[in-house]
Amino acid sequence: MSAPKKNNYFFSRAGPPSVHALGLGAVAAALLAGAAVLPLEAPPLSFFICPLRAATGIPCLSCGCTHAFHFAVRGQLLAAVDASPLGTLLAMLCAAHVVWTLLRLLGLPWAPLIPPRTARWAAAFAVAANWLFLVAR
Amino acid sequence: MLARCPSCRNTFSTERAGRQNCPVCGKPLVVPEQTGAPPAAPQGEAPDADESGTPWERREELGLVAAWAQTVQQALFEPGRLFRSARLDRGAAQLGFALLTSSIFWALGQLLERLLLAGQREQMRRLIESMSGAQLPPVARRLLETQTLSSPGAVLAFTLLTPVISFLLIYLNAAVTHGFALLLGQAKRGFAATFAACAYACAPLVLLAVPGCGSFIAAVWLIVLTGIGLKETHRISAGGAVASVLAPYLLFCCLGIVASFGLAMTLRQALGQH
Repeated sequence: MSAPKKNNYFFSRAGPPSVHALGLGAVAAALLAGAAVLPLEAPPLSFFICPLRAATGIPCLSCGCTHAFHFAVRGQLLAAVDASPLGTLLAMLCAAHVVWTLLRLLGLPWAPLIPPRTARWAAAFAVAANWLFLVAR
Repeated sequence: MLARCPSCRNTFSTERAGRQNCPVCGKPLVVPEQTGAPPAAPQGEAPDADESGTPWERREELGLVAAWAQTVQQALFEPGRLFRSARLDRGAAQLGFALLTSSIFWALGQLLERLLLAGQREQMRRLIESMSGAQLPPVARRLLETQTLSSPGAVLAFTLLTPVISFLLIYLNAAVTHGFALLLGQAKRGFAATFAACAYACAPLVLLAVPGCGSFIAAVWLIVLTGIGLKETHRISAGGAVASVLAPYLLFCCLGIVASFGLAMTLRQALGQH
């Protein structure tokens, strides 16, 4: 008896995107559009100064994400990574999700498949590495 | 017929037996022919009796208004029962409930607040202007200009945009909560489970229609309900649910502190000019 056919580790066959994939795609597009339109030097973004960094000099986990999105949507990836590698990664994931959802709407029969355990450890590593980078910078 | 995916363990309804993809996780599965009373359950698993659907998910049989009212009532006073009965393949219905509840009552609250608290806002504006004289700092001036944005036209525009803003906030809240649940190892049943918890936790947003303290009470109640929802939909411990819900607020309360800090500094600057 042959073993059941498994999905590829990173992709699985899927139909049209679910309502949640579409909803998250809309949010990702809105975040990227907001980063492209809103200026960093004017309210409301100019009010966003990290109180933890202001009080202690130590950055918080999400420090620099606004700047990273701002630079990433303008194609200035080095400046974005310098502001926050995690923010840059999130911006790129947002863009990838928007593009992938559009492709699935057009008939692409594959969806990304990342096992929860892998996603969990990858996310934990990304958050920790990002914070160390911000502290050491 | 009802079936359960052996991969993600979500229950979903399907019209046919045989090979198909799970609508939640997209993985292939085989739904056996239904021969007796129990619903089809791949690999010998029976779906939970509890997951019969919330009143809102059964609104075709109950009627729209009755289904909405029963869902809000259960969410506020019997949340465990509501979240246990939520079906994870009803994401669109859950989104509809959250969108309807938050949009209508947020818009209503905006209108009532404009009617009832406009005088108070104007009094505060006059007070700051009289104390700082003509030397109002630019940031303070901009804040005051933002206050005057509550003109009828701006309120109407905001009211019309409320569903769009609500939609974005609902998904953003679910995504952030799910991200932290994933980090803490509590996301046992996928994004659909987190979304169901976050969507029905929007029920207390009916209090947004109460000017003044309504929004504060609604926010606290929403956080509590999200925790209860995560516990039931992901079937995790109370501690795990509390950690998953509070972690983003502990992190992002930075933004709240920033807003308060910015406002305090602005007022200090404005008053210091006098």
